Amino acid sequence: MIRMIRSLVLVCVVAAGLLSWVYLFTKDRIEEDTRQKVRANLVELLGDTTLTFKPVIPDTLWEFYRDTTKLGIIFRSYGKGYGGPIPVLVALSMDTTILAIRPATPAEGLKETPGLGTKVTEPDFTNQFKNKKPSQIKLKKDGGEIDAITGATISSRGVVEAVQVGIAKYLKYLR
Amino acid sequence: MKKYIWDGIFKNNPVLVLMIGLCPTVAVSTTVQNALGMGVAVLFVLTMSNLTISLLRPMVPESIRIPIFIIVISTFVTITDYVMHAYAPAIHKNLGIFVPLIVVNCIILGRAEAFASKHTPLPAILDGIGSGIGFTLAILGMAIIRELLGSGKLAGHIVLGTKFAATPILFFSLPPGAFLAIAVLIALTRLRK
Repeated sequence: MIRMIRSLVLVCVVAAGLLSWVYLFTKDRIEEDTRQKVRANLVELLGDTTLTFKPVIPDTLWEFYRDTTKLGIIFRSYGKGYGGPIPVLVALSMDTTILAIRPATPAEGLKETPGLGTKVTEPDFTNQFKNKKPSQIKLKKDGGEIDAITGATISSRGVVEAVQVGIAKYLKYLR
Repeated sequence: MKKYIWDGIFKNNPVLVLMIGLCPTVAVSTTVQNALGMGVAVLFVLTMSNLTISLLRPMVPESIRIPIFIIVISTFVTITDYVMHAYAPAIHKNLGIFVPLIVVNCIILGRAEAFASKHTPLPAILDGIGSGIGFTLAILGMAIIRELLGSGKLAGHIVLGTKFAATPILFFSLPPGAFLAIAVLIALTRLRK
């Protein structure tokens, strides 16, 4: 009994020590890679490499600047989809115009039906949000200006919901 | 000594003969790069865990050997995961969940239980290298079939002409194509016997 505990504890301690050493050794590069991926997503969203991004809430809210002028915010928010929450990145300008949106791709955690709900990531759908005011962001059948994807109303509504919820929550950061 | 390596590659090939570790073989054999990344990861974890388990043999009581094996294996898998993320982020992104899932890969626990826990360190290392190469060759074979027919490319380079690359047999890039490819490879292995 004592022998069992002793060998199990010993193996665990050595394993933990080894892992902490490898973790410390690789930590900087892994964090750098994660930062670059996030930045690449933000740059792609606005299609502009000259902007600077300042994180406000880690992994959720960023302010973006040209030189020292604040141009708006980018946030990540979630709406109810068909297969789970739909994460959406939204860029909002200072006058609360939506500049661009980008729902997560299936590889990034979108759980909608392949070939139907996953079409929310395509430009045909996301471009509809560009340069609209929050009040216009509703599906046409709900009295707004967004065409739902045929056969994927729930997913389309989920993206709309993510945008609305996010604006309600983060509007106060537009100052 | 050489026999241990050759056995792992041919007579006891983990995927094509023992039929274990099929899940990553089917899932990440879409391109040659992914297959090589996965092969190297399994080869490293298998060799290191075989060595460690063989070294620990005298101090591991029979009744708790499985928990100890799992701790050793998951330690090496986590090391592989961190190092891949730090130094090969592109491959790490493609392999995704399949690197952490090496922990529950039957090949590794299987070799630990059936071989490393009963042999001295040198044969254990050789067995790990042999089985690791066996796995790598199997998944690489799958990837060559699938990438070539599914996208007309090999390791990202167009090899079957631009006309074929424009309209490849997409079926082979998708999961059903993986099942067909592995069936063909296993059938060929059986034929040799």
